[in-house]
Amino acid sequence: MRLTRSALLLAGLAVLGTAAAPAGAKDYLVTATHANKMVIIDVAARKVDKVYPLPNSRGGNTPGTLVVSPDGKTVYIQHNHWETISGIDVDSGREVFRAELSGKGVRGKSTFAFDVSPDGKELAIYVDPVQLLAGEYRVQDTYIAIYDTAAGLDAKPLRSFAAPRRTTLLGYSTDGAKLYALSWDVVILDPKTGKQIGTHPIRHWGRKNFGEPDALTVWPLWGATRIFSFPYVVARTDRKPDAPDALLSGIFQLDLSTDKVRYKEFENTSVVLFSSTISPLRPDEAYSVYTTLSRIDTKKGKLLKRVDLEQTFYNINVSRDGKELYLGGAGPLLAFYDAETLAHLATIHMPDDADQATAAMRYFSH
Amino acid sequence: MNTASSAAAWRSMALMALMALLALAAAALPCAAAPAANPAGATLVVAECGDCHKVRADGSLERIGEARRTPEGWEMLIGRMTLIHKVQLTEEKRRALVKYLSDSAGLAPAETANWRYLPERRPDAVERIDEQLVADTCTRCHSYGRIALERRSEADWLRLSHFHVGQYPSIEIQSNGRDRNWWDIASKQVPPLLAKHYPLASDAWNKWQAQTWVKPSGDWRVVGHRPGWGDYEGKATIAETGADEYSITMDLRYADGRVEKASGKAALFTGFEWRASLKQGDQEVRQVFALSEDGTRLQGRWFLRDVDTLGGDLSATRSDGKAQILSVQPEYLKAGATAKIAIHGVGLAGAVDLGPGVSVVRELSRSPETVVVEAKATANAPGGKHPLRVGAASSSEAFTVYQRIDALRLAPERGMARIGGNGGTLAKQPAQFEAVGYVKRGKKELRIGVFPARWSFDNANANAKTFKDASFAGTLEANGLFVPGDAGPNPKRKFRTNNAGDLKVTATLLDGQRSLKASAPLIVTVQRWVDPPLR
Repeated sequence: MRLTRSALLLAGLAVLGTAAAPAGAKDYLVTATHANKMVIIDVAARKVDKVYPLPNSRGGNTPGTLVVSPDGKTVYIQHNHWETISGIDVDSGREVFRAELSGKGVRGKSTFAFDVSPDGKELAIYVDPVQLLAGEYRVQDTYIAIYDTAAGLDAKPLRSFAAPRRTTLLGYSTDGAKLYALSWDVVILDPKTGKQIGTHPIRHWGRKNFGEPDALTVWPLWGATRIFSFPYVVARTDRKPDAPDALLSGIFQLDLSTDKVRYKEFENTSVVLFSSTISPLRPDEAYSVYTTLSRIDTKKGKLLKRVDLEQTFYNINVSRDGKELYLGGAGPLLAFYDAETLAHLATIHMPDDADQATAAMRYFSH
Repeated sequence: MNTASSAAAWRSMALMALMALLALAAAALPCAAAPAANPAGATLVVAECGDCHKVRADGSLERIGEARRTPEGWEMLIGRMTLIHKVQLTEEKRRALVKYLSDSAGLAPAETANWRYLPERRPDAVERIDEQLVADTCTRCHSYGRIALERRSEADWLRLSHFHVGQYPSIEIQSNGRDRNWWDIASKQVPPLLAKHYPLASDAWNKWQAQTWVKPSGDWRVVGHRPGWGDYEGKATIAETGADEYSITMDLRYADGRVEKASGKAALFTGFEWRASLKQGDQEVRQVFALSEDGTRLQGRWFLRDVDTLGGDLSATRSDGKAQILSVQPEYLKAGATAKIAIHGVGLAGAVDLGPGVSVVRELSRSPETVVVEAKATANAPGGKHPLRVGAASSSEAFTVYQRIDALRLAPERGMARIGGNGGTLAKQPAQFEAVGYVKRGKKELRIGVFPARWSFDNANANAKTFKDASFAGTLEANGLFVPGDAGPNPKRKFRTNNAGDLKVTATLLDGQRSLKASAPLIVTVQRWVDPPLR
């Protein structure tokens, strides 16, 4: 089994919580902008390092999920109206991988959900297919297709297996033995066979006096910690609708290394939160973002600090050392904040001030 | 919270482009030119649509022969075929298809009656819901009326569910989609309900098709109300210029003395769906009217082409029809007061009788269309809807006498305005409020009419106050017209947010020595980027 240095490092991170970047490597953020650009940002220099046009971009294309290979050499990106996943070489911008999800009378779209295996060898892509007949469409069963990352520009699935509808996110466990599919619940699949090997309930969490939590969760933002997290809103069923605590905000966490799930509400819902990330320094600390930036104690269920932002941001990432926060998505800005004080450090503009819209900003070393 | 904002963020640019195209197509609709019973229509449908839609045993095409739609519904469908499936149509053929399909597979007048507000683009419409599960499944993206203005076989309603997932794959992961097994509901539970409520075959449609459709040509007596301007009355002349094509000219006189002339072109679809484009005063106006089944009345709403929240109601009657009272201006008189009252109608002749307690002081002018009198109500004149007579013509609804205004309410009861302009492609969409007085009759409230008022507005709640919505969201004019702010991010606002706002509009008026006050919520929101002919 080929294990890259970065993959080993990432595995180590989960245990240690924090670690340095590989010697000689630099830290980058990668995002994408409307209509068809991949943008790589040099974190230390606080500037745009590379801008690559995306291939196969028919009109109005807006990129979605980005996934970085464990060795930091390739960025996989969902684009072309959700119908293509391309692998782009970080150094050259050359397209090195392409999986077309549509073809032969079927239109396949990935609803943001794909991931690369920890050994970098396979991509798991969730596909929502529709058969295109002469006078009508016919909805097909959703599935996960597994691709060989070395398959080049005409990649075909190695294998595929059923997956629940409404899946918006896929994530491999750190050891590669599990593939998490976030649907109504987190379904745990064996990525080799597609067999369901477990479930982490969300919709069916069955908590007394609590309804089903709601969250828009499409961004795999677990760069520095391998802990997948998202902010949610949940209604108390034992409160009147106008009670202050009728709606609560919480942070859900799934540790991709230990398979442990935890969640805790931290405030009466008062602001919109779009995504979150967990501190590699302080495992009980989460950060969440939208028009505000929040620091949250996920153990005590307490909001520690909140600041207003200059505009809306969809995504948040945290640096490997846990000291800096990176805010992206939505508009044309990418902002740097101090993870402890939440002080604003810097803001940079995307090329041509293009919107990032729903693109997932990722943090990596290369 | 989270979810509403995200839903907006998910709309794809392709969808916006499609809807923009449809909006353009709708603008062209009123001028559509096609013969009423186009013998070449069926041939044209096969020629233009038959490559993909197979001919069925009865000669109709798959999908096309399994549905009925309004003119706007067919227009939107053909627009989608053009944009997404690259159907190439000349303008002439496109119009001919809409005309033929609307005439041969439309909705009967009775089938549209509950949802006229949708093609009329009424800003104050409150949706009528026939089936809650359908509303829960469908109306987070579009109106219920858009569904209720279609008729399909059950198989085709099911195909519509398939289409939705195929065309809008985010449908299952958006707010109000992801919290349920949306596809199971949409594919198993909803189609039978739709087929039950909105079936392809109906007695109403069979009857309407068998009936002789009356042409609207002729002279018409017009009355109406334009919120913000007041009541108006006038005349219209409609002349046939082609098969189901017409010209229309109008002379309108408002109660406040303003006059407007209008002229334009119209087309009639399905024998009763009147769609016209006019220049009215110095503005481009659209008319969406329904011709009554017996052809004696035209009724509906007109609105400014680019600002469809502004417009008016209109009701027209044949000028040579039987004597009748159509409106009274003003529509109310206070007990104890003397006022000039204009009675508008057709064939008005004979003595004026204003009912018990109200007398004619003197007659000021008279014609078969309008009789103007000075009327005096005694202090104890009975309040309520007041019987009225001019010779053979009578009305028990057009005129109200009141002792005092018991309650004031705003119309609409909830307002919505949309930011616009500022170099963007979409105009501001204002909200026009009116203050309406009511008298109480036991538990019931009886509408008196629109009263002049003083207008003000403020932040609706603490959050709006924090964001200073009232300082940014727009201005309110003396006649209750709220004009929203400029579009785009505003660097002066927190989060650089746009000029949206959560406001409360208040009207104050004096009834004698009493001061009455009424408020209504007003949401000032973002542009309607997706704006098809049927929303």
